[in-house]
Amino acid sequence: MSATAVRPPRAPAPRGPVRRRTFGRRQALTILGFFAPAIVFVCWFTYWPMLQGAQMAFRDWNLWDLTSTPWVGLGNFATILADPVFPVVAGNTLVWVVGSIVPQLVIGFLVALALWRRFRFRGLYQALIFYPWAVSGFLVGMLFRWMFNAEFGVVNDLLMKAGAIDAPLPWLADPKLAMVAVIVANVWYGVTFFAIMILAALQSVPEEVLEAAAIDGAGTVRRLFSIVVPYIWTTLALTVLLRAIWTFNSPEIIYAMTNGGPAGRTHIITTWMIEYTQQGSYGLASAIGLAVMVVLFVFCAFYLMAMRRVNQR
Amino acid sequence: MNRTRAVVTASLATVSMLALTACSGGGSAADGTVRLQMVESLTNPARTALIRELLDEFEAENPGVTVDLVSPPTDQADQKLQQMLQSGRGVDVLEVRDSTVGAFSNNGWLHDLSDEATTWAGWDDLTENAQAVTAEDGARYYVPYGFYGLSLFYRTDLVEDAGFDGPPTSWEDLLEQASAIQDPGQNTYGYAFRGGQNGFSNVVAAVEAYTIDDLDVENAYLLQDGSTIFSAPEAQDAVDTYFSLFEEAAPPSAVSWGYPEMVEGFTNGSTAFLLQDPEVIATVSQSTTITGEQWSTAPLLTGPTGKAAQPLATAGWGVAEASEHQEEAADLVEFLSGAEPATRFAQENSLVPIIDGAGEDPFYAEGPWTSYVTMTEDPETYVNVVQPRGVSWWTEWEQKADQDLQAVLLGSMTTSELLEEWDTFWTEKYAAEN
Repeated sequence: MSATAVRPPRAPAPRGPVRRRTFGRRQALTILGFFAPAIVFVCWFTYWPMLQGAQMAFRDWNLWDLTSTPWVGLGNFATILADPVFPVVAGNTLVWVVGSIVPQLVIGFLVALALWRRFRFRGLYQALIFYPWAVSGFLVGMLFRWMFNAEFGVVNDLLMKAGAIDAPLPWLADPKLAMVAVIVANVWYGVTFFAIMILAALQSVPEEVLEAAAIDGAGTVRRLFSIVVPYIWTTLALTVLLRAIWTFNSPEIIYAMTNGGPAGRTHIITTWMIEYTQQGSYGLASAIGLAVMVVLFVFCAFYLMAMRRVNQR
Repeated sequence: MNRTRAVVTASLATVSMLALTACSGGGSAADGTVRLQMVESLTNPARTALIRELLDEFEAENPGVTVDLVSPPTDQADQKLQQMLQSGRGVDVLEVRDSTVGAFSNNGWLHDLSDEATTWAGWDDLTENAQAVTAEDGARYYVPYGFYGLSLFYRTDLVEDAGFDGPPTSWEDLLEQASAIQDPGQNTYGYAFRGGQNGFSNVVAAVEAYTIDDLDVENAYLLQDGSTIFSAPEAQDAVDTYFSLFEEAAPPSAVSWGYPEMVEGFTNGSTAFLLQDPEVIATVSQSTTITGEQWSTAPLLTGPTGKAAQPLATAGWGVAEASEHQEEAADLVEFLSGAEPATRFAQENSLVPIIDGAGEDPFYAEGPWTSYVTMTEDPETYVNVVQPRGVSWWTEWEQKADQDLQAVLLGSMTTSELLEEWDTFWTEKYAAEN
């Protein structure tokens, strides 16, 4: 048996009777009765406000005068698309999402691999590495705002002491550096989630397959890409999808660090939406929110279809 | 089947009860006691504790009335208040600011206190500025609890070491002194330049000082002839001087400096001058880097004609139009506007007081507060002006102005383009309104 023949075993196909009714009408009603409060609450506090918010996108809904909120059709969407800020914000959002996700995936994978095997104080290391996920995104933004402060921040201090730079870098004042700074903060925040998910998936990779591959002469890199990655592929794909959606949707780090500045160079779709809510223009803000939702739906659909195709190969 | 029915009934009853309790607010109890709900918006723990103490005193003086204080986090407070006001329940007394009064009153959410307030026993104790706070339509939607006004915080030792006799009195003086003190090699900077959030406000303060002789004091964004202050020839000199402060006397990273960075820059001893509200006095006093002898405050900077425009920002307490207990709610506002509670509130929150004669209190007559007394006693030089913070486009303006300011600092816009942009913005907004 050569190393190239190593493949992850397929999961056994489901067998036996497919469905069996396990409770009668009476029990079904009882179950429904217990579910009823949750259903009512979710409809009332999630879907009803969502519908309300969605219809605001088609009205001139301004906090200044809520006594008149006339129907404007697609007017709010047209206003947003015609705004010269829109292409800048869309480009920034793409850079923010891609620039955050790729390093998070790579570093998260490496961290998970490092924590995979048993070693002394592994539990302590895991707790320390997973800690950022428990911190609020806004707080992370506040911390990094001070860390990247040109005069009083620790980042410049360390870089200067290490001899990497001669003079302090204006991280949050320079348009290009500002985007780098907010992405670094987001990478620090998000690596943990990748590490948690990938580490959990790694536990499912069978030892015997890896040992067999090693005996057959497969090196570490070969075992990683021919056995480990295919085994955890679904988890990787779903984690990337989830983080992409959250990153797209999360303004708090940018809001706390730069508030979209300098001169709008770190503005993303969701910080732009916040700007409109602060102006009281809830109609325009809702239009952006609805557009974001549609974009994410389309993204998810394409992504999941692509993943299914890859899995079928 | 009975059991099923019981389960379904119990579930629906639970949902209904929870829903009803979620919707309930203040009201009258069966024993006739009145329960008021008061909502603050500039929440911080120390301030909330002080308000609670004042409310306890009010409750002691008014048996039968209890007050619940709602303190949403500051960054969500306005949205929360708006939702409560829109629902028409849960608010009796609320914090109203000059930037929120326009929207709140326009939607009919605020009660006009004109009739009640002027009959209060303590009404005559209020300063003229406090009494003059009314909406454009003449209605009195809130009674201010204090004023925020600008003064110049400065390092006495650095000014002396640089060979100057005293603090700067004009914007030109500031540029000269700050440039002389600037020494980046020693991590010492002249001026805590505000390039980040709300940075535009200091640009406007400079423009108003340069255009003061023609300024419409009731709307300090306009000249007396109705044109905007940004269209005046003097405005160009003002912005050129102001932006020279960034080039010659501030760190490059000040492009992103907001309130925390400016205050930190001054309190950690690295910047010599800071233009700020009096609330910073308490923060600077707690600095472990600079001692009380190393800093003080000076009056607001003047323009070429020796005058300054003091844009007094304010906030206060108002009564909700939908309140079922407007009489008791107005009593609470009257109590909070009384000499003792109002003075205590102003002192502990570092505000310019609303009570006439409170400035003679030793608290204001000594140390960093003396510059405020100087400004109050010389209204010919330090002219109180009103900025149009209640217009519907104020937040849009703040956001735009901050972005334009950063564009100038980054070199993608000139100062004359900035003035043209701002002039066009205000001219078009007023034209659309009319």
